[in-house]
Amino acid sequence: METLDSIVSGFSVVLTPENLLYVFIGVFVGMIIGVLPGLGSSATMALVLPFSFQLPAEGALIMLAGIYYGSMYGGTITSVLLRLPGEAASVVTTFDGYQMARQGRAGSALGIAAVGSFVGGTVGIIGLSFLAPPLADFAIGFGAPEYTALAIFGILMVSFLGTKSLTKSLVAAGLGLLLATIGQDPVTGSPRFTMGSLELLGGLDFLVLAVGLFGIADVLYHLEEEVRSNPLATKLKRVWPSRKEVSQSKGAIARGSVIGFFVGILPGGGGVLSSLASYGVEKRIAKDPTRFGRGAIEGVAGPETANNAGATSAFIPLLTLGIPANSATAILFGALLLQGITPGPFLISEEPDVFWGVIDSMYIGNLMLLVLSVPLVGIFIQILRIRLTILGPIAIIVTMLGTFSINNNVFDMWIALAAGIVGYFMMKGGFEPGPLVLAFLLGSLLENSFRTSLAISDGDLSVFVTRPVSGTLFALIVLAVAAAVFGHVRSRRRRAAASAAQTAPVE
Amino acid sequence: MRKLQTSLGHRPGKRFLRVGGGALALTLLAACGGNGGGGGGNSASADGCPEGYPERPIELIVPFAAGGGTDVGVRLLAPYIEEELGGATINVVNREGGGGWIGWNALRAAEPDGYTLASLNTPNLISGYLNPEQGIESSLDDFTLIGNVVTDYGAIAVRPDDDRFGTIEELIEYAQENRLTATSTGVGSDDQLASLSLNDALGTQFEGIHGGGAADSLTAVVGGNVDVMFANVGEVATPHENGQLKVLAVLGDPENRGELLSDVPTLAETGLEGVEDIRSWSARGLGGPGGMDEGLQQCIADAAAAAIQNEEFVAAMAEQSLLVDYRDPEEYRQMLEEEEAMVEDLGGQFIW
Repeated sequence: METLDSIVSGFSVVLTPENLLYVFIGVFVGMIIGVLPGLGSSATMALVLPFSFQLPAEGALIMLAGIYYGSMYGGTITSVLLRLPGEAASVVTTFDGYQMARQGRAGSALGIAAVGSFVGGTVGIIGLSFLAPPLADFAIGFGAPEYTALAIFGILMVSFLGTKSLTKSLVAAGLGLLLATIGQDPVTGSPRFTMGSLELLGGLDFLVLAVGLFGIADVLYHLEEEVRSNPLATKLKRVWPSRKEVSQSKGAIARGSVIGFFVGILPGGGGVLSSLASYGVEKRIAKDPTRFGRGAIEGVAGPETANNAGATSAFIPLLTLGIPANSATAILFGALLLQGITPGPFLISEEPDVFWGVIDSMYIGNLMLLVLSVPLVGIFIQILRIRLTILGPIAIIVTMLGTFSINNNVFDMWIALAAGIVGYFMMKGGFEPGPLVLAFLLGSLLENSFRTSLAISDGDLSVFVTRPVSGTLFALIVLAVAAAVFGHVRSRRRRAAASAAQTAPVE
Repeated sequence: MRKLQTSLGHRPGKRFLRVGGGALALTLLAACGGNGGGGGGNSASADGCPEGYPERPIELIVPFAAGGGTDVGVRLLAPYIEEELGGATINVVNREGGGGWIGWNALRAAEPDGYTLASLNTPNLISGYLNPEQGIESSLDDFTLIGNVVTDYGAIAVRPDDDRFGTIEELIEYAQENRLTATSTGVGSDDQLASLSLNDALGTQFEGIHGGGAADSLTAVVGGNVDVMFANVGEVATPHENGQLKVLAVLGDPENRGELLSDVPTLAETGLEGVEDIRSWSARGLGGPGGMDEGLQQCIADAAAAAIQNEEFVAAMAEQSLLVDYRDPEEYRQMLEEEEAMVEDLGGQFIW
């Protein structure tokens, strides 16, 4: 009951005209900038940070948090319309979202993403309100061996995700893993594959790679196609998901909320893993998995929900333990410091107005996003009516600006262009960029946590199976691989039998 | 696009408790002033400045991410320097990557005209160019030093419920017999150098586990995945007060350690032998490109000196458990040369 009282008092903080304005500015700016390719949530928050510390602490935090989850939603819009993921978590959304857009169902995809985000965000907030302290302790118990297991799990999932050939997915994922090794060796510090370039010492930036492989490559690819047809401007059916689509997505949204909430708490890698896990689960339990990658609405609803639930639960370690779980919450940590507040286990008792004010502002903010998205989705899908010959070059210019702004670095623009050209040839050859960038992200998590595990255990491999959580995860991995191999063999036999049966009468 | 003007609204401070660090820094300065430090003695005003300087905005490079410790400190300091330079405009620009060297390379490449400055973080700066593996050709001569801002001494902390050791003596004894994992924020970081210097002096078996930053170190130790946290006072003071961590020793100079964590002994104050000279710190100062005109250097250094020692700034840093430790360009150079010798010795023996 004490919690309920606190939640109510938090609303009295948010529901002042001033703070409502900060929520609105936050989610609106977040959504708009999330739409601009390359400008992810952390870059946007860093931009606003210097201004924020002139505001009172509650207002500043409410606004910055609004930008964070607002841009999560904005990133979805470009993922669906232009196949340009604004951040790691929305890579998965491109798989089915973009296909839906090409079928004239962009409105449905964006609408269901808005609904899912709202539900996921709300579930995340409720969980955060009631379960924060015990879960935070569980989350930081996750050590290197557990992350190793999660990363392997993720990489396995990536290879199942491909819609075309499994072999091509594996090749793309392998390339992603190789690209992840560029940069400083995490243990010895020596440079690898940097060719003497200092810029490469820190490794490739995920956003830069994604912008090139998805955005630029896609523009190049379709500009070529444009000569023959203009597929994007064909038909725009509805602006909102149909009743049937909503009921199709119900389960995915429910599962996505739970998956996203629990995976999102983990400091390090929560964001991508949560949307990936949700997509994997949906594809696995679907009656007809072949629909995935061809515009299955569950493939958008689940990951988008998980993404937002995870974005919210990522606040748990920050607000209860003073440990930021990702780069966006790291900036919020800095914002708290600038306000003279040190995040930690006593934040809730020492600064209840800030803690509950921020939490409650997220309920309001999610509601605002949902309301905002109704007219804005209608406007945004008009982008698709623009001829690609005009939209393409503009998209590239905005993309390059966004890329520069990530690290204020011209070098990144060259990397993005190079990735764009590589991506163009990949698309020509039928390879998908999704498995590549996801494997790239998980590759550094895998390498770091695997080597750290071995450093901690002094080279003893049993560390992966003797710890309860990592032992369980590895057992699940073995089961999953066994099931996949078994299923593959069985379906092959069945197909062989079927074709034998088919061919028999003809002969 | 990230060039934004900083300005600091005067918010009523929430908890101005630990102003002690500031008082100490001031006494320290008074002591230094007695020696008649080079040039600063005659006038603290900006009349040493070249005419018209500054006539356009000054770019202050932070070679680390926005919102991080260095970034927050620089953004808090910038408005005071603006004021001291007679209403100049300072744009704080984050150029992260390459362990800070993306930003420092940009600084080296800039004209030494006083319009490009950067935060210099040691020992990262020094271990960057001393480590032959990194392939960075540089030295202190590539920089014009302006002054030291913060010295954050090293600290050793463990979990409060770790029953294997509860004091620094017990920890050392245990580590001489057993291998213990220790946090590090990277190859050649002050945290790694600190554990190496203990291994060197006492034969302990601390093994550095490199993570991304102080938050990762805290997670690893509180979560029970790494045994000992080697970090800095500013990073462990709050978790220590909150009871998340127990700090066993501070690797600072007993004479100049400030009021922070005053319940914890420095290594020299413990009963251990052979550790009197072990120091570890991470320092953040200001610098410009090498070869700056001396008058200009003095002009900026004077403004920075007044800004760094401004009581409000000192108090704001103390709130973050950071010790403002102003040193003029000459003293700053001595400090960095000392650090260079230490990094060269430990790095040469153990790292590269």
